[in-house]
Amino acid sequence: MTITGEIRGSRPRRTPPRLRVTSLEVLCVVLVVALVFQDWLVSALDAPVLRTASTVFVAVCVQALPFLVLGVLISGAIAAFVPASTLRRLLPRKTALAVPVAGVAGVALPGCECASVPVARRLMQQGVAPAVALSFLLAAPAVNPIVLVSTAVAFRDAPLMVPARFLGSLLTAVIMGWLWVRFGKAEWIAERALRRLPDNDGTSRWVVFAETARHDLVEAGGFLVLGGVFAAAFNVLVPAAWMETLGAQLVLGILVMALLAVVLALCSEADAFVAVSMSALPLLPRLVFLVVGPAVDVKLIALQAGTFGRSFAARFAPVTFVVAIASALAAGAVFL
Amino acid sequence: MRRETQNILLVLLGGALLKLALSGTYLRYVKESLQPWLVVTGGVMIVLAVVSIARDLKASREAASEGHVEHGGHVGHEGHEHGTSRSPWMLLLPVLAVFLISPPALGADTVNRSDRNAAQESKASNGFAALPSDAVVPLTISEFVTRTAWDDSGSLNDRTVRLTGFVVRKEQNTYLARLTISCCAADAAPVKTLMVGQDFTGLPNDQWVEATGKVVPGSATKDNAYVPTFTVESLTPITTPEDTYEG
Repeated sequence: MTITGEIRGSRPRRTPPRLRVTSLEVLCVVLVVALVFQDWLVSALDAPVLRTASTVFVAVCVQALPFLVLGVLISGAIAAFVPASTLRRLLPRKTALAVPVAGVAGVALPGCECASVPVARRLMQQGVAPAVALSFLLAAPAVNPIVLVSTAVAFRDAPLMVPARFLGSLLTAVIMGWLWVRFGKAEWIAERALRRLPDNDGTSRWVVFAETARHDLVEAGGFLVLGGVFAAAFNVLVPAAWMETLGAQLVLGILVMALLAVVLALCSEADAFVAVSMSALPLLPRLVFLVVGPAVDVKLIALQAGTFGRSFAARFAPVTFVVAIASALAAGAVFL
Repeated sequence: MRRETQNILLVLLGGALLKLALSGTYLRYVKESLQPWLVVTGGVMIVLAVVSIARDLKASREAASEGHVEHGGHVGHEGHEHGTSRSPWMLLLPVLAVFLISPPALGADTVNRSDRNAAQESKASNGFAALPSDAVVPLTISEFVTRTAWDDSGSLNDRTVRLTGFVVRKEQNTYLARLTISCCAADAAPVKTLMVGQDFTGLPNDQWVEATGKVVPGSATKDNAYVPTFTVESLTPITTPEDTYEG
Protein backbone atom coordinates (compact mmCIF):
# COMPACT_ATOMS: atom_id res chain seq x y z
CA MET A 1 0.00 0.00 0.00
CA THR A 2 2.66 2.49 1.00
CA ILE A 3 4.70 1.68 -2.10
CA THR A 4 1.81 2.26 -4.50
CA GLY A 5 1.00 5.44 -2.63
CA GLU A 6 4.55 6.72 -3.17
CA ILE A 7 4.48 5.95 -6.86
CA ARG A 8 1.12 7.62 -7.28
CA GLY A 9 2.32 10.55 -5.27
CA SER A 10 5.48 11.09 -7.35
CA ARG A 11 3.83 10.79 -10.73
CA PRO A 12 1.92 14.08 -10.94
CA ARG A 13 5.03 16.01 -9.95
CA ARG A 14 6.97 14.74 -12.97
CA THR A 15 4.30 15.68 -15.48
CA PRO A 16 2.21 18.50 -14.07
CA PRO A 17 -1.30 18.30 -15.50
CA ARG A 18 -1.73 22.07 -15.92
CA LEU A 19 -1.76 23.40 -19.46
CA ARG A 20 1.55 25.02 -20.39
CA VAL A 21 2.05 27.22 -23.43
CA THR A 22 5.56 26.46 -24.64
CA SER A 23 7.54 27.95 -27.51
CA LEU A 24 6.44 24.99 -29.61
CA GLU A 25 2.78 26.01 -29.48
CA VAL A 26 3.74 29.65 -30.08
CA LEU A 27 5.72 28.64 -33.17
CA CYS A 28 2.78 26.67 -34.56
CA VAL A 29 0.40 29.58 -34.03
CA VAL A 30 2.82 32.05 -35.65
CA LEU A 31 3.27 29.78 -38.68
CA VAL A 32 -0.47 29.28 -39.12
CA VAL A 33 -1.18 33.00 -38.75
CA ALA A 34 1.57 33.85 -41.26
CA LEU A 35 0.16 31.35 -43.76
CA VAL A 36 -3.40 32.65 -43.34
CA PHE A 37 -2.33 36.26 -43.79
CA GLN A 38 0.23 35.54 -46.54
CA ASP A 39 -1.59 37.60 -49.19
CA TRP A 40 -1.98 40.50 -46.81
CA LEU A 41 1.73 40.28 -45.91
CA VAL A 42 2.81 40.27 -49.54
CA SER A 43 0.66 43.26 -50.43
CA ALA A 44 1.77 45.15 -47.32
CA LEU A 45 5.37 44.76 -48.48
CA ASP A 46 4.62 45.89 -52.01
CA ALA A 47 6.05 49.42 -51.67
CA PRO A 48 9.34 49.76 -53.62
CA VAL A 49 11.30 50.71 -50.48
CA LEU A 50 10.09 47.70 -48.53
CA ARG A 51 10.70 45.39 -51.46
CA THR A 52 14.27 46.61 -51.73
CA ALA A 53 14.79 46.29 -47.96
CA SER A 54 13.38 42.76 -47.83
CA THR A 55 15.57 41.67 -50.74
CA VAL A 56 18.66 43.11 -49.04
CA PHE A 57 17.64 41.43 -45.77
CA VAL A 58 17.34 37.99 -47.36
CA ALA A 59 20.57 38.61 -49.29
CA VAL A 60 22.55 39.46 -46.13
CA CYS A 61 21.22 36.36 -44.35
CA VAL A 62 21.78 34.01 -47.30
CA GLN A 63 25.28 35.37 -47.86
CA ALA A 64 26.31 35.15 -44.20
CA LEU A 65 24.77 31.83 -43.13
CA PRO A 66 27.32 29.58 -44.90
CA PHE A 67 30.11 31.46 -43.08
CA LEU A 68 28.30 31.23 -39.76
CA VAL A 69 27.85 27.49 -40.25
CA LEU A 70 31.57 27.17 -41.03
CA GLY A 71 32.27 29.09 -37.80
CA VAL A 72 30.04 26.92 -35.60
CA LEU A 73 31.46 23.72 -37.10
CA ILE A 74 34.99 24.90 -36.26
CA SER A 75 33.77 25.95 -32.83
CA GLY A 76 32.19 22.53 -32.30
CA ALA A 77 35.36 20.81 -33.47
CA ILE A 78 37.48 22.82 -31.03
CA ALA A 79 35.10 21.97 -28.19
CA ALA A 80 35.09 18.28 -29.01
CA PHE A 81 38.55 17.48 -30.28
CA VAL A 82 41.01 20.14 -29.07
CA PRO A 83 41.64 19.83 -25.34
CA ALA A 84 42.28 23.08 -23.49
CA SER A 85 45.81 21.92 -22.67
CA THR A 86 46.74 21.72 -26.35
CA LEU A 87 45.61 25.31 -26.92
CA ARG A 88 47.66 26.44 -23.93
CA ARG A 89 50.73 24.71 -25.30
CA LEU A 90 50.29 26.30 -28.73
CA LEU A 91 50.11 29.86 -27.44
CA PRO A 92 52.92 31.78 -25.69
CA ARG A 93 52.38 31.79 -21.93
CA LYS A 94 52.54 35.57 -21.61
CA THR A 95 49.22 37.04 -22.76
CA ALA A 96 50.88 40.16 -24.16
CA LEU A 97 52.93 37.93 -26.48
CA ALA A 98 50.02 35.63 -27.32
CA VAL A 99 47.94 38.57 -28.60
CA PRO A 100 49.96 39.20 -31.79
CA VAL A 101 50.30 35.44 -32.34
CA ALA A 102 46.50 35.13 -32.26
CA GLY A 103 46.20 38.08 -34.62
CA VAL A 104 48.46 36.45 -37.18
CA ALA A 105 46.66 33.13 -36.64
CA GLY A 106 43.58 34.83 -38.04
CA VAL A 107 45.10 34.22 -41.47
CA ALA A 108 44.04 30.61 -41.11
CA LEU A 109 40.27 31.19 -40.89
CA PRO A 110 39.09 31.90 -44.42
CA GLY A 111 35.73 33.44 -43.76
CA CYS A 112 34.01 36.67 -42.99
CA GLU A 113 33.25 38.17 -39.59
CA CYS A 114 30.27 35.92 -38.87
CA ALA A 115 32.51 32.86 -38.70
CA SER A 116 34.97 34.27 -36.20
CA VAL A 117 32.55 35.18 -33.38
CA PRO A 118 31.58 31.62 -32.38
CA VAL A 119 35.20 30.50 -32.76
CA ALA A 120 36.49 33.29 -30.50
CA ARG A 121 33.93 32.46 -27.84
CA ARG A 122 34.86 28.79 -27.98
CA LEU A 123 38.53 29.72 -27.52
CA MET A 124 37.59 31.67 -24.36
CA GLN A 125 35.60 28.72 -23.03
CA GLN A 126 38.62 26.50 -23.61
CA GLY A 127 40.66 28.68 -21.32
CA VAL A 128 42.35 31.01 -23.81
CA ALA A 129 42.75 34.49 -22.32
CA PRO A 130 39.94 36.81 -23.49
CA ALA A 131 42.45 39.36 -24.86
CA VAL A 132 43.94 36.68 -27.10
CA ALA A 133 40.56 35.42 -28.30
CA LEU A 134 39.40 38.98 -29.02
CA SER A 135 42.52 39.70 -31.01
CA PHE A 136 41.76 36.62 -33.11
CA LEU A 137 38.13 37.75 -33.45
CA LEU A 138 39.16 41.09 -34.94
CA ALA A 139 41.98 39.84 -37.15
CA ALA A 140 40.43 36.73 -38.72
CA PRO A 141 37.79 38.41 -40.94
CA ALA A 142 40.25 40.96 -42.34
CA VAL A 143 43.64 39.33 -42.84
CA ASN A 144 42.73 35.94 -44.31
CA PRO A 145 43.85 35.12 -47.88
CA ILE A 146 40.38 35.24 -49.46
CA VAL A 147 39.77 38.80 -48.26
CA LEU A 148 43.24 39.95 -49.29
CA VAL A 149 42.92 38.40 -52.75
CA SER A 150 39.52 40.01 -53.32
CA THR A 151 41.01 43.35 -52.21
CA ALA A 152 43.84 42.90 -54.70
CA VAL A 153 41.37 42.07 -57.49
CA ALA A 154 39.22 45.11 -56.70
CA PHE A 155 42.12 47.55 -56.35
CA ARG A 156 44.12 46.51 -59.41
CA ASP A 157 45.20 50.12 -59.87
CA ALA A 158 46.32 50.63 -56.29
CA PRO A 159 48.00 47.37 -55.21
CA LEU A 160 49.34 49.00 -52.04
CA MET A 161 45.81 48.86 -50.63
CA VAL A 162 46.42 45.16 -49.89
CA PRO A 163 49.39 45.56 -47.49
CA ALA A 164 47.77 48.71 -46.09
CA ARG A 165 44.59 46.82 -45.27
CA PHE A 166 46.52 43.89 -43.82
CA LEU A 167 48.60 46.16 -41.59
CA GLY A 168 45.63 48.32 -40.54
CA SER A 169 43.50 45.33 -39.54
CA LEU A 170 46.32 43.52 -37.78
CA LEU A 171 47.18 46.69 -35.84
CA THR A 172 43.53 47.07 -34.81
CA ALA A 173 43.41 43.49 -33.56
CA VAL A 174 46.70 43.62 -31.66
CA ILE A 175 46.05 47.04 -30.08
CA MET A 176 42.58 45.95 -28.95
CA GLY A 177 44.10 42.79 -27.47
CA TRP A 178 46.70 44.78 -25.53
CA LEU A 179 44.08 47.31 -24.39
CA TRP A 180 42.06 44.40 -23.03
CA VAL A 181 45.11 43.02 -21.19
CA ARG A 182 45.63 46.44 -19.58
CA PHE A 183 42.07 47.65 -18.95
CA GLY A 184 39.67 44.79 -19.67
CA LYS A 185 37.59 43.23 -16.94
CA ALA A 186 36.34 39.66 -17.13
CA GLU A 187 32.99 40.61 -15.58
CA TRP A 188 32.09 42.65 -18.68
CA ILE A 189 31.78 39.39 -20.57
CA ALA A 190 28.56 37.54 -19.92
CA GLU A 191 29.12 34.58 -17.62
CA ARG A 192 27.61 32.14 -20.12
CA ALA A 193 30.32 32.98 -22.67
CA LEU A 194 33.11 32.00 -20.29
CA ARG A 195 31.53 28.97 -18.63
CA ARG A 196 34.00 26.12 -19.03
CA LEU A 197 32.83 22.95 -20.63
CA PRO A 198 33.34 19.86 -18.51
CA ASP A 199 36.56 18.29 -19.78
CA ASN A 200 35.18 14.84 -20.38
CA ASP A 201 31.95 13.72 -18.81
CA GLY A 202 31.76 10.47 -20.74
CA THR A 203 29.66 11.75 -23.64
CA SER A 204 30.99 10.86 -27.07
CA ARG A 205 33.08 13.51 -28.77
CA TRP A 206 30.82 13.48 -31.82
CA VAL A 207 27.84 14.23 -29.61
CA VAL A 208 29.74 17.16 -28.06
CA PHE A 209 30.63 18.33 -31.56
CA ALA A 210 27.06 18.19 -32.88
CA GLU A 211 25.48 19.67 -29.75
CA THR A 212 27.97 22.56 -29.52
CA ALA A 213 27.63 23.41 -33.20
CA ARG A 214 23.83 23.23 -33.06
CA HIS A 215 23.62 25.37 -29.94
CA ASP A 216 26.03 28.01 -31.30
CA LEU A 217 24.21 28.08 -34.62
CA VAL A 218 20.80 28.67 -33.08
CA GLU A 219 22.07 31.37 -30.73
CA ALA A 220 24.35 33.25 -33.11
CA GLY A 221 22.00 32.76 -36.06
CA GLY A 222 19.28 34.73 -34.29
CA PHE A 223 21.61 37.67 -33.76
CA LEU A 224 22.92 37.45 -37.30
CA VAL A 225 19.34 37.80 -38.55
CA LEU A 226 18.87 40.80 -36.25
CA GLY A 227 22.00 42.36 -37.77
CA GLY A 228 20.59 41.64 -41.22
CA VAL A 229 17.44 43.59 -40.33
CA PHE A 230 19.55 46.61 -39.34
CA ALA A 231 21.77 46.35 -42.42
CA ALA A 232 18.71 46.23 -44.69
CA ALA A 233 17.12 49.20 -42.93
CA PHE A 234 20.27 51.30 -43.24
CA ASN A 235 20.70 50.22 -46.85
CA VAL A 236 17.48 52.01 -47.79
CA LEU A 237 17.61 54.78 -45.17
CA VAL A 238 21.17 56.11 -45.59
CA PRO A 239 21.07 58.58 -48.47
CA ALA A 240 23.53 57.55 -51.16
CA ALA A 241 24.35 61.23 -51.58
CA TRP A 242 26.49 60.85 -48.44
CA MET A 243 29.18 59.09 -50.43
CA GLU A 244 28.84 61.04 -53.60
CA THR A 245 29.10 64.63 -52.40
CA LEU A 246 32.08 64.14 -50.11
CA GLY A 247 34.63 64.54 -52.85
CA ALA A 248 37.91 65.77 -51.54
CA GLN A 249 36.93 66.74 -47.98
CA LEU A 250 39.39 64.36 -46.35
CA VAL A 251 38.48 64.54 -42.65
CA LEU A 252 34.75 64.44 -43.25
CA GLY A 253 35.32 61.69 -45.81
CA ILE A 254 37.17 59.54 -43.27
CA LEU A 255 34.46 59.93 -40.64
CA VAL A 256 31.59 59.28 -43.02
CA MET A 257 33.29 56.26 -44.56
CA ALA A 258 33.94 54.84 -41.08
CA LEU A 259 30.27 55.28 -40.17
CA LEU A 260 29.16 53.80 -43.48
CA ALA A 261 31.33 50.74 -42.83
CA VAL A 262 29.46 50.27 -39.54
CA VAL A 263 25.91 50.70 -40.83
CA LEU A 264 26.20 48.96 -44.20
CA ALA A 265 27.61 45.77 -42.61
CA LEU A 266 29.07 44.42 -45.83
CA CYS A 267 30.76 41.06 -45.95
CA SER A 268 34.52 41.53 -45.66
CA GLU A 269 34.95 39.67 -48.94
CA ALA A 270 32.77 42.17 -50.79
CA ASP A 271 33.58 45.51 -49.21
CA ALA A 272 36.66 46.09 -51.37
CA PHE A 273 34.47 46.07 -54.50
CA VAL A 274 32.16 48.65 -52.97
CA ALA A 275 35.11 50.78 -51.86
CA VAL A 276 36.70 50.71 -55.31
CA SER A 277 33.47 51.95 -56.89
CA MET A 278 33.50 55.08 -54.73
CA SER A 279 36.00 56.58 -57.09
CA ALA A 280 35.21 60.17 -56.11
CA LEU A 281 37.02 59.64 -52.81
CA PRO A 282 40.78 59.55 -52.17
CA LEU A 283 42.29 56.21 -51.14
CA LEU A 284 42.67 56.98 -47.43
CA PRO A 285 38.94 57.21 -46.54
CA ARG A 286 38.37 54.04 -48.53
CA LEU A 287 41.12 52.27 -46.56
CA VAL A 288 39.36 53.39 -43.35
CA PHE A 289 36.17 51.81 -44.75
CA LEU A 290 37.99 48.51 -45.33
CA VAL A 291 39.63 48.40 -41.90
CA VAL A 292 36.60 49.46 -39.84
CA GLY A 293 34.07 47.23 -41.64
CA PRO A 294 35.36 43.78 -40.63
CA ALA A 295 36.13 44.98 -37.06
CA VAL A 296 32.84 46.66 -36.16
CA ASP A 297 29.51 46.81 -37.96
CA VAL A 298 25.84 46.50 -36.98
CA LYS A 299 25.69 42.79 -37.79
CA LEU A 300 28.83 42.14 -35.76
CA ILE A 301 27.66 44.28 -32.83
CA ALA A 302 24.43 42.26 -32.72
CA LEU A 303 26.42 39.00 -32.82
CA GLN A 304 28.83 40.18 -30.11
CA ALA A 305 26.04 41.45 -27.85
CA GLY A 306 24.36 38.08 -28.18
CA THR A 307 27.49 36.03 -27.65
CA PHE A 308 29.43 38.02 -25.05
CA GLY A 309 26.66 40.12 -23.52
CA ARG A 310 25.44 43.67 -23.97
CA SER A 311 27.72 45.14 -21.34
CA PHE A 312 30.69 43.82 -23.32
CA ALA A 313 29.47 45.05 -26.72
CA ALA A 314 28.67 48.53 -25.37
CA ARG A 315 32.33 48.98 -24.40
CA PHE A 316 34.09 46.94 -27.03
CA ALA A 317 32.39 48.28 -30.19
CA PRO A 318 33.02 52.04 -29.68
CA VAL A 319 36.66 51.51 -28.67
CA THR A 320 37.23 49.20 -31.63
CA PHE A 321 35.71 51.86 -33.88
CA VAL A 322 38.21 54.50 -32.72
CA VAL A 323 41.20 52.13 -32.73
CA ALA A 324 40.32 50.88 -36.22
CA ILE A 325 40.21 54.42 -37.63
CA ALA A 326 43.56 55.25 -36.00
CA SER A 327 45.14 52.00 -37.25
CA ALA A 328 43.87 52.60 -40.77
CA LEU A 329 45.34 56.11 -40.76
CA ALA A 330 48.67 54.77 -39.49
CA ALA A 331 48.72 52.05 -42.16
CA GLY A 332 47.75 54.63 -44.75
CA ALA A 333 50.63 56.85 -43.70
CA VAL A 334 53.03 53.96 -44.30
CA PHE A 335 51.70 52.66 -47.62
CA LEU A 336 49.57 55.26 -49.39
CA MET B 1 13.10 28.55 -26.15
CA ARG B 2 12.76 24.79 -26.01
CA ARG B 3 15.16 22.52 -27.85
CA GLU B 4 12.31 21.07 -29.89
CA THR B 5 11.35 24.51 -31.18
CA GLN B 6 14.97 25.39 -31.95
CA ASN B 7 15.34 22.20 -33.94
CA ILE B 8 12.18 22.84 -35.91
CA LEU B 9 13.40 26.36 -36.70
CA LEU B 10 16.74 24.95 -37.87
CA VAL B 11 15.00 22.45 -40.15
CA LEU B 12 12.85 25.26 -41.57
CA LEU B 13 15.84 27.55 -42.13
CA GLY B 14 17.92 24.78 -43.70
CA GLY B 15 14.93 23.95 -45.89
CA ALA B 16 14.63 27.59 -46.92
CA LEU B 17 18.28 27.66 -48.01
CA LEU B 18 17.88 24.40 -49.93
CA LYS B 19 14.76 25.73 -51.63
CA LEU B 20 16.60 28.90 -52.70
CA ALA B 21 19.63 26.98 -53.94
CA LEU B 22 17.76 24.27 -55.81
CA SER B 23 15.00 26.39 -57.34
CA GLY B 24 17.45 28.99 -58.67
CA THR B 25 15.83 31.88 -56.77
CA TYR B 26 19.12 32.33 -54.87
CA LEU B 27 20.31 34.29 -57.91
CA ARG B 28 18.11 37.17 -56.75
CA TYR B 29 20.24 37.54 -53.63
CA VAL B 30 23.76 36.21 -54.15
CA LYS B 31 26.22 35.21 -56.84
CA GLU B 32 26.02 31.96 -58.73
CA SER B 33 29.23 30.67 -57.14
CA LEU B 34 27.57 30.46 -53.72
CA GLN B 35 25.10 27.75 -54.78
CA PRO B 36 27.06 24.67 -53.61
CA TRP B 37 27.76 26.37 -50.29
CA LEU B 38 24.07 27.05 -49.81
CA VAL B 39 23.26 23.39 -50.43
CA VAL B 40 25.93 22.28 -47.94
CA THR B 41 24.83 24.88 -45.37
CA GLY B 42 21.16 23.90 -45.63
CA GLY B 43 22.15 20.24 -45.34
CA VAL B 44 24.35 20.80 -42.28
CA MET B 45 21.55 22.71 -40.52
CA ILE B 46 19.05 19.92 -41.13
CA VAL B 47 21.53 17.21 -40.08
CA LEU B 48 22.39 19.05 -36.82
CA ALA B 49 18.69 19.42 -36.03
CA VAL B 50 17.83 15.81 -36.92
CA VAL B 51 20.73 14.45 -34.83
CA SER B 52 19.49 16.45 -31.88
CA ILE B 53 15.86 15.35 -32.36
CA ALA B 54 16.95 11.72 -32.65
CA ARG B 55 18.98 11.92 -29.44
CA ASP B 56 16.07 13.50 -27.57
CA LEU B 57 13.69 10.81 -28.77
CA LYS B 58 16.12 8.03 -27.81
CA ALA B 59 16.71 9.55 -24.39
CA SER B 60 13.04 10.00 -23.66
CA ARG B 61 12.29 6.44 -24.76
CA GLU B 62 15.02 5.13 -22.47
CA ALA B 63 13.72 7.30 -19.67
CA ALA B 64 10.19 6.04 -20.20
CA SER B 65 11.21 2.38 -20.29
CA GLU B 66 13.50 2.58 -17.28
CA GLY B 67 11.30 4.97 -15.39
CA HIS B 68 14.22 6.57 -13.62
CA VAL B 69 13.61 10.00 -12.23
CA GLU B 70 17.25 11.09 -12.74
CA HIS B 71 16.99 10.20 -16.39
CA GLY B 72 14.09 12.58 -16.73
CA GLY B 73 16.44 15.39 -15.79
CA HIS B 74 18.80 14.37 -18.54
CA VAL B 75 16.03 14.43 -21.12
CA GLY B 76 14.73 17.78 -20.00
CA HIS B 77 17.62 19.69 -21.52
CA GLU B 78 15.23 22.45 -22.47
CA GLY B 79 14.94 23.29 -18.79
CA HIS B 80 18.40 24.90 -18.82
CA GLU B 81 17.82 26.96 -21.90
CA HIS B 82 14.32 27.96 -21.04
CA GLY B 83 13.91 31.70 -20.80
CA THR B 84 17.63 32.44 -21.13
CA SER B 85 17.45 33.55 -24.72
CA ARG B 86 14.84 34.70 -27.15
CA SER B 87 17.25 35.41 -30.02
CA PRO B 88 16.51 32.14 -31.87
CA TRP B 89 13.04 33.52 -32.61
CA MET B 90 14.71 35.83 -35.12
CA LEU B 91 15.50 32.77 -37.26
CA LEU B 92 11.82 32.73 -38.17
CA LEU B 93 12.16 35.99 -40.12
CA PRO B 94 14.26 34.68 -43.04
CA VAL B 95 12.14 31.51 -43.10
CA LEU B 96 8.94 33.52 -43.52
CA ALA B 97 10.62 35.89 -45.97
CA VAL B 98 11.80 33.05 -48.20
CA PHE B 99 8.71 30.83 -48.09
CA LEU B 100 5.93 33.41 -47.98
CA ILE B 101 7.22 36.66 -49.44
CA SER B 102 10.10 35.58 -51.69
CA PRO B 103 11.43 39.12 -52.31
CA PRO B 104 12.19 39.96 -55.94
CA ALA B 105 15.60 40.82 -57.36
CA LEU B 106 16.63 44.45 -56.91
CA GLY B 107 15.63 46.84 -59.63
CA ALA B 108 14.72 50.41 -60.47
CA ASP B 109 14.24 51.48 -56.85
CA THR B 110 17.87 50.62 -56.05
CA VAL B 111 19.17 52.36 -59.18
CA ASN B 112 17.31 55.54 -58.27
CA ARG B 113 18.75 55.58 -54.76
CA SER B 114 22.12 56.60 -56.12
CA ASP B 115 23.60 58.83 -58.79
CA ARG B 116 26.63 56.61 -58.90
CA ASN B 117 27.51 54.74 -62.05
CA ALA B 118 29.60 51.79 -61.04
CA ALA B 119 31.61 51.29 -64.23
CA GLN B 120 35.27 51.23 -63.34
CA GLU B 121 37.99 53.34 -64.81
CA SER B 122 40.45 50.70 -63.58
CA LYS B 123 39.00 48.17 -65.98
CA ALA B 124 39.96 50.50 -68.81
CA SER B 125 43.65 50.51 -67.94
CA ASN B 126 44.18 47.02 -69.34
CA GLY B 127 43.16 48.28 -72.77
CA PHE B 128 40.13 47.20 -74.74
CA ALA B 129 39.87 44.07 -76.86
CA ALA B 130 38.66 44.60 -80.41
CA LEU B 131 34.89 44.16 -80.81
CA PRO B 132 33.67 41.33 -83.05
CA SER B 133 32.88 42.45 -86.57
CA ASP B 134 29.22 41.30 -86.45
CA ALA B 135 26.56 43.77 -87.57
CA VAL B 136 25.06 43.88 -84.06
CA VAL B 137 27.39 43.48 -81.08
CA PRO B 138 25.87 42.26 -77.80
CA LEU B 139 27.45 44.07 -74.83
CA THR B 140 26.90 44.22 -71.10
CA ILE B 141 25.90 47.66 -69.86
CA SER B 142 29.08 47.80 -67.72
CA GLU B 143 31.25 47.31 -70.77
CA PHE B 144 29.17 49.76 -72.81
CA VAL B 145 29.62 52.45 -70.14
CA THR B 146 33.33 51.73 -69.68
CA ARG B 147 34.08 51.85 -73.41
CA THR B 148 32.14 55.06 -73.92
CA ALA B 149 33.83 56.77 -71.03
CA TRP B 150 37.44 55.60 -71.32
CA ASP B 151 38.13 54.01 -74.69
CA ASP B 152 39.96 56.77 -76.51
CA SER B 153 40.14 54.77 -79.75
CA GLY B 154 36.38 55.24 -80.13
CA SER B 155 35.76 51.54 -80.78
CA LEU B 156 32.01 51.94 -80.16
CA ASN B 157 31.41 54.89 -82.46
CA ASP B 158 28.98 54.04 -85.30
CA ARG B 159 28.73 50.43 -84.11
CA THR B 160 25.28 48.97 -83.54
CA VAL B 161 25.15 47.29 -80.14
CA ARG B 162 22.53 45.26 -78.32
CA LEU B 163 22.01 45.91 -74.60
CA THR B 164 19.82 43.98 -72.18
CA GLY B 165 18.54 45.54 -68.99
CA PHE B 166 15.53 46.96 -67.18
CA VAL B 167 13.85 50.31 -67.58
CA VAL B 168 14.42 52.97 -64.93
CA ARG B 169 12.50 56.22 -65.02
CA LYS B 170 13.77 59.26 -63.20
CA GLU B 171 12.16 62.64 -63.64
CA GLN B 172 11.80 63.10 -67.43
CA ASN B 173 14.50 60.61 -68.32
CA THR B 174 14.33 56.93 -69.18
CA TYR B 175 17.40 54.80 -68.51
CA LEU B 176 18.40 51.29 -69.40
CA ALA B 177 20.08 49.84 -66.32
CA ARG B 178 21.57 46.76 -64.70
CA LEU B 179 22.88 46.15 -61.19
CA THR B 180 26.31 44.63 -60.62
CA ILE B 181 26.94 42.60 -57.48
CA SER B 182 30.27 41.37 -56.19
CA CYS B 183 29.05 39.25 -53.27
CA CYS B 184 25.37 39.71 -52.46
CA ALA B 185 22.53 42.11 -53.23
CA ALA B 186 23.57 44.31 -50.29
CA ASP B 187 26.54 45.56 -52.32
CA ALA B 188 24.60 46.07 -55.57
CA ALA B 189 25.83 49.01 -57.64
CA PRO B 190 24.02 50.39 -60.68
CA VAL B 191 25.25 50.83 -64.23
CA LYS B 192 22.99 52.70 -66.60
CA THR B 193 22.68 54.52 -69.90
CA LEU B 194 20.26 57.26 -70.90
CA MET B 195 17.93 56.16 -73.72
CA VAL B 196 16.96 58.68 -76.42
CA GLY B 197 15.55 58.53 -79.94
CA GLN B 198 12.13 57.06 -79.26
CA ASP B 199 9.04 57.64 -77.16
CA PHE B 200 9.54 55.58 -74.00
CA THR B 201 6.49 56.80 -72.07
CA GLY B 202 4.73 53.44 -72.31
CA LEU B 203 7.52 51.55 -70.53
CA PRO B 204 7.02 50.99 -66.82
CA ASN B 205 9.86 50.81 -64.28
CA ASP B 206 11.54 47.39 -64.06
CA GLN B 207 10.30 46.26 -67.48
CA TRP B 208 13.07 44.13 -69.02
CA VAL B 209 13.96 45.08 -72.58
CA GLU B 210 16.48 44.29 -75.29
CA ALA B 211 17.53 47.46 -77.08
CA THR B 212 19.70 47.92 -80.15
CA GLY B 213 21.17 51.24 -81.11
CA LYS B 214 24.27 53.39 -81.15
CA VAL B 215 26.13 55.36 -78.56
CA VAL B 216 26.39 59.15 -78.76
CA PRO B 217 30.21 59.43 -78.89
CA GLY B 218 31.78 61.15 -75.90
CA SER B 219 28.48 61.35 -74.01
CA ALA B 220 29.87 59.80 -70.79
CA THR B 221 31.75 62.51 -68.92
CA LYS B 222 32.76 63.16 -65.36
CA ASP B 223 30.00 65.79 -65.09
CA ASN B 224 27.18 63.34 -65.75
CA ALA B 225 28.78 60.58 -63.62
CA TYR B 226 29.80 58.74 -66.81
CA VAL B 227 26.24 57.95 -67.87
CA PRO B 228 26.40 57.60 -71.67
CA THR B 229 23.57 58.45 -74.03
CA PHE B 230 22.22 55.62 -76.16
CA THR B 231 20.28 56.30 -79.36
CA VAL B 232 17.78 53.47 -79.52
CA GLU B 233 16.80 52.09 -82.94
CA SER B 234 14.68 49.16 -81.83
CA LEU B 235 13.44 47.98 -78.49
CA THR B 236 11.79 44.67 -77.53
CA PRO B 237 10.27 43.89 -74.13
CA ILE B 238 11.51 40.54 -72.82
CA THR B 239 10.78 38.37 -69.80
CA THR B 240 12.95 38.84 -66.72
CA PRO B 241 16.09 36.67 -67.01
CA GLU B 242 16.95 34.20 -64.26
CA ASP B 243 20.12 36.02 -63.25
CA THR B 244 19.32 39.71 -63.33
CA TYR B 245 22.72 40.95 -62.14
CA GLU B 246 25.89 41.64 -64.06
CA GLY B 247 28.91 40.04 -62.39
